[in-house]
Amino acid sequence: MAGAYKCARCKQKVEIDVNVRCPYCGHRILFKERGAAIKELKAR
Amino acid sequence: MEIVFSSINDSAARFSITGTSQPFANALRRAMIGEVPTLAIEDVRIYDNTSALFDEMLGHRLGLIPIRTDLDCYIPQEKCSCEGAGCDRCSVMFTLSVEGPAMVYSRDLIPQDPRAAPAVDGIPIVKLTKDQKVVLEARAVLNSGRVHAKWQPTTTCGFKNYPIVEISDRCDACGQCVEECPRGILVVKGGRVTVVEGRLEECSLCRLCERACLNTGIGEEPAIRVRSDDSRFIFVVEGDGSLPVREIVQRALLYLKSQSDELCEKIGEVSGVTGDEEENE
Repeated sequence: MAGAYKCARCKQKVEIDVNVRCPYCGHRILFKERGAAIKELKAR
Repeated sequence: MEIVFSSINDSAARFSITGTSQPFANALRRAMIGEVPTLAIEDVRIYDNTSALFDEMLGHRLGLIPIRTDLDCYIPQEKCSCEGAGCDRCSVMFTLSVEGPAMVYSRDLIPQDPRAAPAVDGIPIVKLTKDQKVVLEARAVLNSGRVHAKWQPTTTCGFKNYPIVEISDRCDACGQCVEECPRGILVVKGGRVTVVEGRLEECSLCRLCERACLNTGIGEEPAIRVRSDDSRFIFVVEGDGSLPVREIVQRALLYLKSQSDELCEKIGEVSGVTGDEEENE
């Protein structure tokens, strides 16, 4: 489940292991960060 | 065949064709919609998108933006010597980079070739709030509306039969049909009902006037009759801005001609007679 998340309140980078909770501020809303890969798609 | 234009400019045309059949009129309509090529965004490379829209939704919206097309400068990818890799002859690159808070408009798409800019500047693509960002590259290619609606050069494109309104001597000018007509094409003038000058083409053939006439108790047959002319058609064509309407009509007719020529040639090959020989006979 580990991945790059960002806390919605303190904007810190967060790794999720067991609980969905920011270890710095305790906020429970986390955003999944967009990967660095370039996305190619068809405009349809 | 007689063609009369009632109006034509870059974005819309209205004309009537006399002395033809419904299948031919429909063939012309279909050719204008589906066989005249235009540019439209096909491939999108998204570097960053933190907007509220998914990448796919954003790509879909980009594809539908009409792009000004010079058909003498571009050729379809399948006919290009680059074999679909993408070159200056068959594709146009666009870049878009906007940071919020802002509305992303079609004018923010910066084309590599200034002739192939979006036809309309103010088409909203996505609204960005603070810290949201869209960075992407897009590639527009030439194709026809038969493949996908985004390549259609037309918005409204249709035809209807030319209306014939006949008012018999039994008309007592009661004015019921005038009141009923939703298009306002009838008027009581000099003791009888007539069609307003120049408004006959507005008739939608709804026949509400016939019914209103019957309801007055005039008898079994109404005094006003609406028929459609089976050999005369009114066309309304509106372009989306990618091509001038004049060119859409011309290209569609050229397409029909080339298809007919090809058929002639094939029939000649099968029967062993060429088109030229037939003409000489």
